[in-house]
Amino acid sequence: MTLQYDNVSYTYSGGTAGVFDVSLEIGRGELLAIIGASGSGKSTLLKLLAGFVKPDRGRILIDGHDVGHLAPEARRLGVVFQNYALFPHMRLWENVAYPLKVRGISRDERRSRAVEMLGRVGMHSRADDLPAALSGGQQQRVALARALVFEPQGLLLDEPLSALDAGLRMEMRDEILRVQRQSGIATLLVTHDQEEALSIADKVVMMRDGRLVQIGTPRDLYETPADASVAAFVGQSNLWPGEVSGDGMVSTDIGTLSCDTAGWAPGAKVTVLVRPERVEPITGGVDTAKPGEFAGTMAADRYLGPVRRLDLAVAGGFIRLETHLREPLTGASIPPGAIRLLPPT
Amino acid sequence: MAIIAIAYLIFLVAPMLLLALGSFGESWSGTLLPTGFTWRWYQELATDPSFRRAFVTSLQVVATTCILNLLIGLPLAYAIQAGARGGVRVAARIVTLLPVAAPELVLAFGFILVFSSDALPWLGSFWLLAAGHLVLTLPYTVTALVADMEQLGLDHYEHAAATLGAPFTARLRDVTLPLLRPSLLSAMLTVAALSIGEFQLSNLISGFLSRTYPVVLLQAFYGATGFACAATVVLLLLAAVASLTSGLAAQFAGSLLSRRAT
Repeated sequence: MTLQYDNVSYTYSGGTAGVFDVSLEIGRGELLAIIGASGSGKSTLLKLLAGFVKPDRGRILIDGHDVGHLAPEARRLGVVFQNYALFPHMRLWENVAYPLKVRGISRDERRSRAVEMLGRVGMHSRADDLPAALSGGQQQRVALARALVFEPQGLLLDEPLSALDAGLRMEMRDEILRVQRQSGIATLLVTHDQEEALSIADKVVMMRDGRLVQIGTPRDLYETPADASVAAFVGQSNLWPGEVSGDGMVSTDIGTLSCDTAGWAPGAKVTVLVRPERVEPITGGVDTAKPGEFAGTMAADRYLGPVRRLDLAVAGGFIRLETHLREPLTGASIPPGAIRLLPPT
Repeated sequence: MAIIAIAYLIFLVAPMLLLALGSFGESWSGTLLPTGFTWRWYQELATDPSFRRAFVTSLQVVATTCILNLLIGLPLAYAIQAGARGGVRVAARIVTLLPVAAPELVLAFGFILVFSSDALPWLGSFWLLAAGHLVLTLPYTVTALVADMEQLGLDHYEHAAATLGAPFTARLRDVTLPLLRPSLLSAMLTVAALSIGEFQLSNLISGFLSRTYPVVLLQAFYGATGFACAATVVLLLLAAVASLTSGLAAQFAGSLLSRRAT
C-alpha cells in the first residue's frame, strides 16, 4: 500500500494559507515525517490525506486509486490525533474494537481482536478501564492500537507525542517505530519536533509556506540541507552570509574561510553553514594567521550533560560550537570539510 | 458568606413553607399563621374539573415541548456547531437567542394577531400553545447544547470516529448522542421547569379548554386563601414531577443509546 500526493493544492477559504503543488509518495512500510514551523501546511497535508478537507487541485492516491472524492470513513486510514480522541464513554477494548464494530464484526471476535491489539502495545491488562483512568502515554498506546486494529491502508500520526513529557516521548517514539515496523504500514508523521522526525523517519519532508522545501533521508536534511531555512530548522547551525572570494575561499563577517567552492563562481553570494559539533575547540594558544582559526571569548556556555554548547565571540560575530571538553576555550577552528555553502537568503 | 447563604435560603424557602402550611389551614386571615387543620382544600382541588384539566394540559404541554426541543434543538445545535463558521455562526447564535430578548408579552400579542386571522385561525389550540412554549424554551436548549459541544471538543471525536470507518449515522448513535447525554439531560430539566411555570404567554394564547395550570391557578387567588395555597403547592409538585420525568426520560434514552453502542 502506498500513499501519494499528486500535484495537490488546497487553499483555506478567505486566506492565502494552504498547500501548493505538493507531490509526495510514501512507500509500503515507509515512515515519512513532515516537519515545518506552525502554519507551514504540514497539518493540512494530513487533513487532505485523511479526507477532512478536499484538494482544490491534484489527486490523493491510496495504492494507486484516487480517493480525493471519498469521505474519511471510506479511506481506511488509521489516524492518531494529537489529543488521542479516545471515546471517553467507552472502555479501552470498546475503543479499540470500535472500527471493527462499524464493520459489522461480531462482539466476541471484536473483543478478542481488540484485546490482542491492546497486548501489542502493552495495554491488555487495562482492557476494561475507561480512558479517563489512563496517563497520557497509555492513552497514546491505546490510540495507536485503535488506529491499527482494522488493518488500515496507511497510518497518519498528527503530532502524536507533543502532549507527553520529554522522557516518555523518547519511549513512545521507539514504541511507535516498533509497532509501525511490525505492521509494515505506510506511515505519515506530522511533527514540529525535528529531532523526533530525524530519529524515526525513513524520509523527512521539510515544508515552508505550504510548499515542500526539501525531501530526503534524515541524514540528507541534516548534512546537505537545501537552504538556510532547512539548516536552521533541522538541528543547530552557524549560518553566516558570505561571498566566494576566490577558488576555495569564502569571505564572511568573521573572516575568510577555506572550503570547497566547486559549483560557485567567484563573487557569488552564499550562506556558509557549519554545524556546531564540527567546529574544533582550542584551549591553548591560537594562531589566527592560520585560515579557519579564530581567537575568541565565551559569550554563552550551556551545559547539556554530555556536551557543552558554546557561543564564542570572535571579531565580526559569533561561532557556535559543541564540545565535550570541560575547560575554558580560547578559540576555535573551522576545518574546511565542515563548511557547506548554501544559496544566499 | 454563610450568613448570606442562609438568609438567601430562608428568603427562598420561607414562602414555600408558608404556602404548604396554609394549604392545610382551615382559616387564615389577619393572623401570622393559619389556624385549624383540614384536607378540604386538596379535596376541592381534586374535584375541580378546570384544575384537573389544566393539570393534564400542563403535563401534555411540557412533554410536547420537551420532545419538540429534542427533535428541533439537537439538529439545530449540531448544524451550528458543525457547519456554521465565522459570521454565519455568530448570526445563527444571535437569531437563536432572539426569543429570550423579546418580552413574552410581545410574542403573545404577535401570536394573537397572526393566529386569530381567518387564514390561520389556530388561537386557543393545544398545538399553538406547545409551539409558543417551544419558541420560548428552544434558545436555552440550543445555547446549552452548542456550548457543551464546543467544550467537549465534539468535532475531534467525530473526526476520530470517521477515520475509524463510522459513517454519519453510526457516529451520531455511538459517539455524538452518548457524549451529549448529560447536556441533553440538563437541557430537558431547564425546558421542563420553564414550560411548567410559564404564565404570560399561556395566559394570553391558551383557549378555554387548553389552559395550563398556572393560568387556572391565578383564579384560585380570588377565592379562599387555603385553596390558593393548595393549588400553588400542587404547581410545585407538578414542576418537580415534570423535571424529574423529563430528566429520567433523557437519561433513559441516553442509556438505551449507549447500551447499543457497546
